[in-house]
Amino acid sequence: MKHRDILFRITIMTIMVLSSGLAWSQEFKPSKQIEAVVHTGPGGGSDLLARAIAELLQKEKLISQRMQVVNKPGGGPAVAMSYLAEKKGETHTIGFFTGVWVTNPLTTAEANVTVKDLTPIVRLVLEPAVIAVKADSPYKNMQDFIEAAKKNPKKLAQSGGTITSRDNLMRLLLQKATGAQWNFISFPSGGERLSNLLGGHVQMMVIEPQEAGEQIRAGNLRVIAALTEKRLAALPNVPTIKEQGIDIPLIPQARGVLAPPGVPREVIQYWEGVFDRFEKTATWKQYLEQNQFEDGYLKGPGLSKFFDELTVQMRDVLKEAGAKVVR
Amino acid sequence: MEDLGNLLLGFSVALTPVNLFWCLVGVVLGTMVGVLPGLGPAATIAMLLPLTLKMDHTTAIIALAGIFYGARYGGSTTSILLNIPGESSSVVTCLDGYQMARQGRAGPALGISAIASFVAGTVGVLGLMLIAPPLARFALRFAPPEYFALMVLGLAMVVFLAGESMVKALLAMLVGLWIATIGTDLFTAESRFTFGQVKLLGGVDFIAATVGVFAIGEVLVNLESQGGAEIFKLAKGLRNLLPTLQDLKDCRFAFLNGSVIGFVVGALPGAGATVASFLSYGLEKAVSRHPEKFGTGVIEGVAAPEGANNADAGGALVPLLTLGIPGGNTTAILLGGLILWGYKPGPLLIQEHPELFWGLVASMYIGNVMLLVLNLPLVPLFAQILRLPYYVLYPLILGISIVGVYSVNNSLFDVWIMGLFGLLGYLMRKLDFPASALILGMVLGDGLERALRQSLMMSQGDITILATRPISGTLLFFAAVILCLPVVRKVRSWRFEAIERES
Amino acid sequence: MMRDKGNFISAACLAAFGIYVISVAARLDYVSEVGPGPGFFPLWLGIGLVLFASGLMFAPSSISRSKAKGESQSWKGAGRALAAWSALMVAIALLGRMGFAVSFIVLTMFLIVALDRRPALLAVGVGIGLAVSFHLIFVVALDVSLPKAFWGF
Repeated sequence: MKHRDILFRITIMTIMVLSSGLAWSQEFKPSKQIEAVVHTGPGGGSDLLARAIAELLQKEKLISQRMQVVNKPGGGPAVAMSYLAEKKGETHTIGFFTGVWVTNPLTTAEANVTVKDLTPIVRLVLEPAVIAVKADSPYKNMQDFIEAAKKNPKKLAQSGGTITSRDNLMRLLLQKATGAQWNFISFPSGGERLSNLLGGHVQMMVIEPQEAGEQIRAGNLRVIAALTEKRLAALPNVPTIKEQGIDIPLIPQARGVLAPPGVPREVIQYWEGVFDRFEKTATWKQYLEQNQFEDGYLKGPGLSKFFDELTVQMRDVLKEAGAKVVR
Repeated sequence: MEDLGNLLLGFSVALTPVNLFWCLVGVVLGTMVGVLPGLGPAATIAMLLPLTLKMDHTTAIIALAGIFYGARYGGSTTSILLNIPGESSSVVTCLDGYQMARQGRAGPALGISAIASFVAGTVGVLGLMLIAPPLARFALRFAPPEYFALMVLGLAMVVFLAGESMVKALLAMLVGLWIATIGTDLFTAESRFTFGQVKLLGGVDFIAATVGVFAIGEVLVNLESQGGAEIFKLAKGLRNLLPTLQDLKDCRFAFLNGSVIGFVVGALPGAGATVASFLSYGLEKAVSRHPEKFGTGVIEGVAAPEGANNADAGGALVPLLTLGIPGGNTTAILLGGLILWGYKPGPLLIQEHPELFWGLVASMYIGNVMLLVLNLPLVPLFAQILRLPYYVLYPLILGISIVGVYSVNNSLFDVWIMGLFGLLGYLMRKLDFPASALILGMVLGDGLERALRQSLMMSQGDITILATRPISGTLLFFAAVILCLPVVRKVRSWRFEAIERES
Repeated sequence: MMRDKGNFISAACLAAFGIYVISVAARLDYVSEVGPGPGFFPLWLGIGLVLFASGLMFAPSSISRSKAKGESQSWKGAGRALAAWSALMVAIALLGRMGFAVSFIVLTMFLIVALDRRPALLAVGVGIGLAVSFHLIFVVALDVSLPKAFWGF
């Protein structure tokens, strides 16, 4: 009797140890503060998104530890990407990427890290863009603007970011498709781009509907085209660029999360689990609506494929743009 | 009349115990953040944003705005006492403020800084209340040529910072302009002068460079003599711990100057408080009866820039609240906060949510009063820091510099930059190159090049666009006048000397 | 005079620097398809540097003469200042491995003991006192992170 008892106890204990051991090796739970790296300073687009997501994740109790946003600005995403690459294998660090993380290494020789070196986790958001003009300008639709540009080549101007930014790439694609030509003036901040448009110093800009929304409501801006596949829910009367007869590839502005290289499988699964649940919450849907983002949830091999395709697309467009492509 | 009613509404919102409490918390926190170099209000506001989700929204913006303009009060403290700029907009305060501290007038410097900040801050709120929409519309008329002219005007101040040798000042300025080019070019995304370093792609961090040149450079100069020279004359008696009536009289114009320039420049998206403080300092020197004394410890040289960086806070809120356009980093976070709380910042914000706007405006009046009441009595306390024996003071300065610079981006690289610029600052002091010209070049370099290239893009290469537009033409005219004056003076004095030598 | 020699050397360095800037700027585009290129501004800066630096090198002393301001004239103390600066750079180098507290105490000790010939005990006291205050104010109260070594501070 006694022997069987002991054997039984030993078996139970072994099973418990083994299973807890297995569980321990299969599940990851963060045990200290999580670092969320962004490539903008405080107040920049990525920074605000990361802070909002950190807040919402904590609100929905999807993560047990605090998420701390760490700003690593410089050279676009280069400094942030380099920082993440140095944190190889670090389990408590993630980074918030945007499309520029893919394009920047293509044109900057010093950038020694590409998005393939990092571990993709999830794509969360696709930011649509629209073309806006001043409300009292004579351009009621894209055609008006194109014709005016054709009549006065290189006289009209568009405000935007660097020449490798989405704004300019869209401009180059549009110019190629329509044969019209207009200038491009770079401004470092969205505020300046908008204020120059409102001041009449430039004639149009590519802008996110969330930024444009209030100006439209106040009657200062008019949106003449949506750079999306389908019409935007918030702007149902604005035809897409395709509907207006201009067929160009649409460059998505994607935002999502990735991790440093060499991160163990369990960590990736943990984050995928967190964001899986997060994506379904009402607070996330509300946030998407408030900011007029499109839900671009994508993970795993689909996400890797997205990065690859985007890299190829960007390389082609950049080369056409005349930018020095170094990778 | 309608505005008066709105203002009363605002006060009724601002004077509730909860809002008063959080206003106090905001301004105190802001002052502390401003005093410590490196840690900036932008990062602090961003950190506190999540906490505000649980608050009433008007309370939240009152608190966060309090941090924003409160920091402008605190920034001058270390600038005056230790020659360490607490905020980038307090760099100019180092020039005369620190010299005043060395002459035993740290108290009056700190005091006038608080008073000027109060006056200008209040004017800024008045401006926000009364002329925000028309000012916003005026600001929209500023296109790149106007920004260029503004920067040139600022650089013309180099002529005033020249002190003795204009050539040396120009050389220092050119080096400063060059430093501003380091990093990724905004327009073409090409990198310049980065020596292959990823960390230089964002350029040289401004705080790291200025703390290095001013604070570290100063310490190195002082360490030349063993036993540390008697650097600080200590003030005797309470009378010398606060500004005198004469001081206040001297600063009459500085108060006005700081208020107006700070507020107007603050309303221009993209031009920051640092630019405003330099312009205000330059203007003060231009109209002064004793311009050559600037840089040796002139009290107006503290009052003008300190006023400017406070009025700038009010000005920066103009485009944010009337158009939904953030002027800089900190206002961008405030914008983010507003969006997070569910508001839609834009031209209709004031009409649709008057209690938010007017409550904020009213609380800013109250906040400025709180800040004055808090800061003035602290002046004698802070001034006691200078009584520390130098062998404690210098390690203290070095320590604060390292910590402050590191805390900006959690970057050791920045600390290295600070060290290098420290050596540069020391050498410049020894060789009589004005450090302020270097810093001026760094501050304005970015904006200058950008505005020039943008203007040329607008005009398709036609450079006359800069002179033919009314606003930019006027500003450039002033700049030309300022540039010519000392040259005329110098030429006259050469001829004078030549004539003397002959006879 | 010391001053003129100093002016000459610094002007020569600046002129050389100006030439370097011009050489790098020449490799960048002067014009890009969207207006003046990245080489435009630095090129003119380099030219300005060379011009003004040459002016300083070969100018009669009347242009560059400053009324002597006693303090910055002699180079006697330069050795001490440079020693202090080197100590600072060493301390910065140590920051990553030894953490802020230790590096700072080492620096303080160098300044007080080596440079000032005061007792080591005083240096240690001041160093530790300041390091602790920094830690309390920044790390504890303000949640700012400072460089850490493996012992936590």
